[in-house]
Amino acid sequence: MPKPALMGIFAYLDDLVQALEVLKRANLDFTVFTPIPRHEIREAVPMKPSPVRYFTLFGGAFGIISGLSLAVFTVLQWKFIVSGKPIIPWIPFVIVAFEFCILLGVLITLTGLLINIRLPRLHLPQYYDPRFSVDRFGVLVRCTEATPEEVSKILTEAGAEEIHKVGI
Amino acid sequence: MKDFSYSDINREIIGAMAPPGKLYRFVIGFLFLGILIGASCWAYQISQGLGVAGVRHPVVWGTYLVNFVFWVGIAHSGTLISAILFLLRAQWRTAIARSSEAMTVFAVMTAGLFPLIHLGRVWVVYWMIPYPNQRNLWPNFQSPLVFDVIAISTYLIVSILFWYTGLIPDLAAVRDQAKGIRKKLYGLFSLNWTGTHHQWRHYGWAYLLFAALATPLVISVHSVVSWDFALSIVPGWHSTIFAPYFVAGAIHSGLAMVLILLIPLRRIYRFENIITMETLESIAKTIVLTGLIMGYSYGVEFFMAWYSGDEVERYTFLWRTIGYYAPQFWIMLFSNSVAPLFYFFKKVRTNLVSLYIIAILINLGMWFERYVIIVGSVAREFDPYSWTIYTPTWVDYGILIGSFCLFLFLFFLFAKFLPAVSITEVKEELEPPLRRSVG
Repeated sequence: MPKPALMGIFAYLDDLVQALEVLKRANLDFTVFTPIPRHEIREAVPMKPSPVRYFTLFGGAFGIISGLSLAVFTVLQWKFIVSGKPIIPWIPFVIVAFEFCILLGVLITLTGLLINIRLPRLHLPQYYDPRFSVDRFGVLVRCTEATPEEVSKILTEAGAEEIHKVGI
Repeated sequence: MKDFSYSDINREIIGAMAPPGKLYRFVIGFLFLGILIGASCWAYQISQGLGVAGVRHPVVWGTYLVNFVFWVGIAHSGTLISAILFLLRAQWRTAIARSSEAMTVFAVMTAGLFPLIHLGRVWVVYWMIPYPNQRNLWPNFQSPLVFDVIAISTYLIVSILFWYTGLIPDLAAVRDQAKGIRKKLYGLFSLNWTGTHHQWRHYGWAYLLFAALATPLVISVHSVVSWDFALSIVPGWHSTIFAPYFVAGAIHSGLAMVLILLIPLRRIYRFENIITMETLESIAKTIVLTGLIMGYSYGVEFFMAWYSGDEVERYTFLWRTIGYYAPQFWIMLFSNSVAPLFYFFKKVRTNLVSLYIIAILINLGMWFERYVIIVGSVAREFDPYSWTIYTPTWVDYGILIGSFCLFLFLFFLFAKFLPAVSITEVKEELEPPLRRSVG
């Protein structure tokens, strides 16, 4: 059974921000659709910093450890003295560790990004409007704490140019 | 650009992706022919052996290595523009970041072919990869050549992912205006991005972190390439300034290549209002800086040779200026250090023709720089009995032509099938649509 929700479409950013302020005060659950990230939206909907950075930290640290481990493992297989250096020459291995740090840092950051934004997905949600990637802003409000009429009133008063009933 | 609305940006940039005309098809066909020439030369070399190329002892690193270093260098300015200038919040990078990143990806792809082309037995290239095997043999992780394999592979993967991540919201914008199979394809590659505020939050962080990781990477990659030479004892190579000298040279040639690609691109796609004259001027100003660094580096190289008191080192550098490769040396010096100084004059850097000619000269000069360093140094090494003169053969030239055609072919495909300018980043520079005007 789809839950009732309303999608408000805005042509102006300040109208959208006004709607977000009211929705936030009414403690309603909503999602904003925007063609570009705007600081006005970030300020109206404060969010914690993304956990993606922990993936990067883990990836970088894992990269250093794996790069060093691989290089050390390979020299220990034969224990040849190369260019009069110690069997485990740390200085050249810094380069190996550094490159692995960057490589795994990036790969795991990307993995973290995809996990957090829940992509890829096979189909676009039905309520998605193609104008959201051009010049329109959208706000999808789940009508759990308020009736659709109340939500519709908030969106209309804020200046929504269209309001659609959608099921999510 | 300030007068543009969000929808204007979508229309201008996605409009450039309209079905190609006859001229485009002709150019693509011509470039493909060039690739076939290069591929045929390589196939001939594989069947006959490396002897068909010009490399002979002691010059065993000929134009293949010259091309390798040249193309890796070209790649660098893309990352400079997309990552380093992003972290420095340089606004002029916005309109050119996407095409510069594309240039990076294609240049690294082209560069990556040359170590393979240079292999006598290319079919065993996988021996360079560390994998468990029956004889328990592993690559030597103390060798700069193995550093190179790791660095270039990392650079290629990171550049592609950085470029692709930046493309995701723009691919969604193209998807939203496309129909039929194009809609499905762009939808697939955009991962069906919807642009929610949650997505933008994570995306912003990831992009920033990518830039932060790509910045030290780009510096490390050309440093590692320079150590292919500097860690040997060959006179003319064995120098501590090689890493910063190579990084500066890489950015120098890459910025010139950005001008070579963007001046026609903005004209063909009518992007004059997006890639403005001020943007091109900013690139020219940065080239002045890198040109000065190059001039300084050339001077320091000679000073170090003289100050070292090493007879062989001194001779190598003297031979560069008056020996067999002196014409290439003087072309290098003029093109890389003198010609860019003309960009000091506003008239020169605001004129598309002079801007373009100097950019071509710089790329010519940077190719010859690698030629002079790589070939010139080993041709006059320690043992006079092995001194020689290296001359490229038709196979070398064929592969050189093929590499340029491959690079341009990929860039042309990119410019037609992907948004050549970042829709999202350009919009971020505009005033948002507001009902109540600010102030």
